[in-house]
Amino acid sequence: MTQAVGLSEDQRDCLQEIVNVAMGQAGDSLARFLEVFIHLSVPRVRLVDSKDLPPMLAEMVGHTDKVSAVRQGFYTAGDGNGMRGEAIVLFNDASFGELAELLAYEDDLTEEAERELLLDVTNVLNGACLNGIAEQIETELVYSAPSILGQHILVEEVIARDNLSWMEALLVEINYSLDNRSFSCNLLMLMPGEAIEVVKLALDKLLSDLD
Amino acid sequence: MPKTFDPNMLLESIVDRINVGIFVVDENYKILLWNKYMANHSKLKEDKATGECLFELFPDLPQRWFKKKIDSVFMLQTFAFTSWEQRPYLFKFPHNRPITGGVEFMNQDLTLMPVKDDCGDVVATCISLLDVTDVSIYQTMLKDANAKLEIASQIDGLTQLNNRAHWEQRLQEEFNRGRRYGSPMSLLMFDLDHFKLVNDTFGHLAGDAILRTVASQIDDSLRDSDIAGRYGGEEFGIVLPSTDIKGASIFAERLRALIAAEPVRFNGIDISVAVSIGVSEMHDDVDNHEMLISQADEALYYSKENGRNRWAAYPCPNTEKL
Repeated sequence: MTQAVGLSEDQRDCLQEIVNVAMGQAGDSLARFLEVFIHLSVPRVRLVDSKDLPPMLAEMVGHTDKVSAVRQGFYTAGDGNGMRGEAIVLFNDASFGELAELLAYEDDLTEEAERELLLDVTNVLNGACLNGIAEQIETELVYSAPSILGQHILVEEVIARDNLSWMEALLVEINYSLDNRSFSCNLLMLMPGEAIEVVKLALDKLLSDLD
Repeated sequence: MPKTFDPNMLLESIVDRINVGIFVVDENYKILLWNKYMANHSKLKEDKATGECLFELFPDLPQRWFKKKIDSVFMLQTFAFTSWEQRPYLFKFPHNRPITGGVEFMNQDLTLMPVKDDCGDVVATCISLLDVTDVSIYQTMLKDANAKLEIASQIDGLTQLNNRAHWEQRLQEEFNRGRRYGSPMSLLMFDLDHFKLVNDTFGHLAGDAILRTVASQIDDSLRDSDIAGRYGGEEFGIVLPSTDIKGASIFAERLRALIAAEPVRFNGIDISVAVSIGVSEMHDDVDNHEMLISQADEALYYSKENGRNRWAAYPCPNTEKL
């Protein structure tokens, strides 16, 4: 396992700027798709140790309600630069019901329908945000089908601490909320190990183009 | 001389003949490409499908839902997915397990992928359809097996009541719930009188028959919310939610009388059975469910000491002496 060296100040600023622009675009396309205004927090970029991630999740959601969590893999298309990772979306169960009508669900929110809604929303959020980031570092992403990590569980149960095969990952954290609604969720984009180096290279290239 | 292949022709031929459904639609859901797999399974040839609207050819599709998926690909320029776990099938295709499958139609996972032109604009959506019937059958079998295992891990084999571990967990949950909502709850602990003597006299099979009979009498006496379990060899516990000590005592007397009234017939011999019962109730000064158990145990011991085939409620008159 290669230990990633931290991002330089320039790299961090550059990535932050990229993510900020991507969020602007994502908010815009999501608002058009869902026909509701989306508030996105200013994304936070940092490196995390695998042992710090589980407690970090709890701090991030900032409540003790049960959550539902969905993950989705992504990687660069074709002969791209080798960026890869997983995005995790955490939904607060308490405000989840509000979302069904937005995505044209005809049926009652049964357990099955709820699973589908979780998968759909995760896919839409990830697509909107990650594409924006990929575009700016001139690459294109391919996605795997999203799958559910857990429904109605404690935030501590989302990631099994013993299962993590990586030491350090680049984390981009974005919080969503909807206009006039209590719905909110957290998106974590995580890129482990070597993928961090790939991002750093891409950032360096961008920075040198600016010079 | 080796034959040379035109890679584009090769690709075209593979897309057409691969064992995966592939089709392409435009923004108006008009079909632009329809591979052989789709043609074979839908019985709709390529020339009958291309140029037509997907939803006119397949009116059974969940239109509003599927349109939203396709729209999202154009609008958000990203992938979309459908899974058999949510909708087992979209197209009513036959599958290759007509004999052993046990499902009506092919289970399908779909991936919707944006097709971009040179400027990067999404001009079409390419949809690939995977037959996941096998996966779905195994997954369903696994789910059923897990459900059975879960029940098996909670049930006592002989009596079919909850086993000790599961029963104690349920007691703890009810205790916490009662505490939280300030509703009463009571507990019965009881065991069979002179059970060792029965085993020694009539054999262990007779003992088993008695345990089973008593368990079924318990089961018949319960309300839906009551939780009975086998606590030890011949010891049982019953959790009575939303029940105070008075209600629990009435229940205890009814159960005692019911069990005492009917001897258990084993190999032509009637064996009379009786139980001694202890009752306790959750109060503010009962710290946890374990304390509730030990109080009911104390009352049970009092019943034993005072002649058996009876019940007593905690605190008992001469508890100090015990």
